[in-house]
Amino acid sequence: MPNEMLPEVDPSVRPADLEQAGVWLAGHGLTDVRPTPLLATRLAARRRRRLAAAVLLAAFIIAVALTYISAMGEGSGSSRRWSLLVLTAVVVGLVLGQSLLDLWVRRVDRRAGAMLPRRAAHPVRLGWRTVLGWPRAAFAVTTFAGAMVLAIGVLTMQDSTARYAAVVLLIGLCGVAVVMVVQLRHVLTHPVVADDEVSLTADVIMRVEDARDVTVPTVVWSLPVTSVFSTAFGWWNVAWLVFIVLSVIALALIDARTARSGTVARHVTSAR
Amino acid sequence: MIVIDSASPIPPFEQLRGQLARQIQDHTLAVGTRLPTIRRLAADLGLAANTVGRAYRELEEAGLIETRGAAGSFVSAAGEQGRERARHAAAEYAAVIASVGIDTNEAIRIVQAALAKGIAVSPSS
Repeated sequence: MPNEMLPEVDPSVRPADLEQAGVWLAGHGLTDVRPTPLLATRLAARRRRRLAAAVLLAAFIIAVALTYISAMGEGSGSSRRWSLLVLTAVVVGLVLGQSLLDLWVRRVDRRAGAMLPRRAAHPVRLGWRTVLGWPRAAFAVTTFAGAMVLAIGVLTMQDSTARYAAVVLLIGLCGVAVVMVVQLRHVLTHPVVADDEVSLTADVIMRVEDARDVTVPTVVWSLPVTSVFSTAFGWWNVAWLVFIVLSVIALALIDARTARSGTVARHVTSAR
Repeated sequence: MIVIDSASPIPPFEQLRGQLARQIQDHTLAVGTRLPTIRRLAADLGLAANTVGRAYRELEEAGLIETRGAAGSFVSAAGEQGRERARHAAAEYAAVIASVGIDTNEAIRIVQAALAKGIAVSPSS
């Protein structure tokens, strides 16, 4: 969006953020809407949160790999117990880190909302069925259940190294599941920040996109590579690859067959 | 959509009550619709929980919503029953007017005067 079309702005909002808000609006079919400082601030906070969350998850995968490798060299029972304790602490750190990021976004939203002379909200509670939808919720639960079943399958092996790797994978999966629940709770419960129908629509779009983003199981897919893959039998690795391929196909089908976030938001806002 | 304007001379609880009542009466909010919790709506609209609580209480007293314990607040069927009672009373009034021979314009003026008196004594107005 050219600069001459931009509205008078709050000096704390960067012109680049405002321009990106214009691009975001156009991408969601709201081409006739001018980007506001409120929207630019909220979108910028979400972009930064998303980047920081991705870095945090990458650090988590590296930490899982390091924890696994550190105990593999020595192979003694006590070093493995210690490494599992360290891994549990890493999981707690990950959950804490994600919660702090969500808190930060909530604070940015609260500050932006406090400056509005008018506030708008939905008279009806937006539930997970509206924001996330049945197909994605079922997909997320099934993906986790499948990954857990495969990890538990390795626990039945006689090889202690494979069993250790499976425990590392299970702890990692539990951590990722808790993070997903914490983030979904944040998406569903953080207050609406809007002052008219357009900003209310934008608020719903952000929620829908955040919820969809949270339920993409990229970390679930990649966790075994840092643990079980090197120790499990060939059949397990093949089963995991089949699991990934099937879940990618399922996700692509869900993406293709469900309404886009902008359509969901417009439907919600116009119906109420 | 509910909009609360902090610059408006109408108190926020009345803005909220009025908008919810209107949306219930024109069926934008259907019978059985679950409303947000008091805390949630207060956070969304930047209001104190007491303000939203007062609006909900008045809507409940008017029979427009009902609270089912921890399940939350729902649009009540009683609002529809109230409308039906009003229609029934209007039909009875029309019958009385016809029987005593009062003309239509005067009958409307009598109703308007009664409504004005009713609004004046109503605590929620």
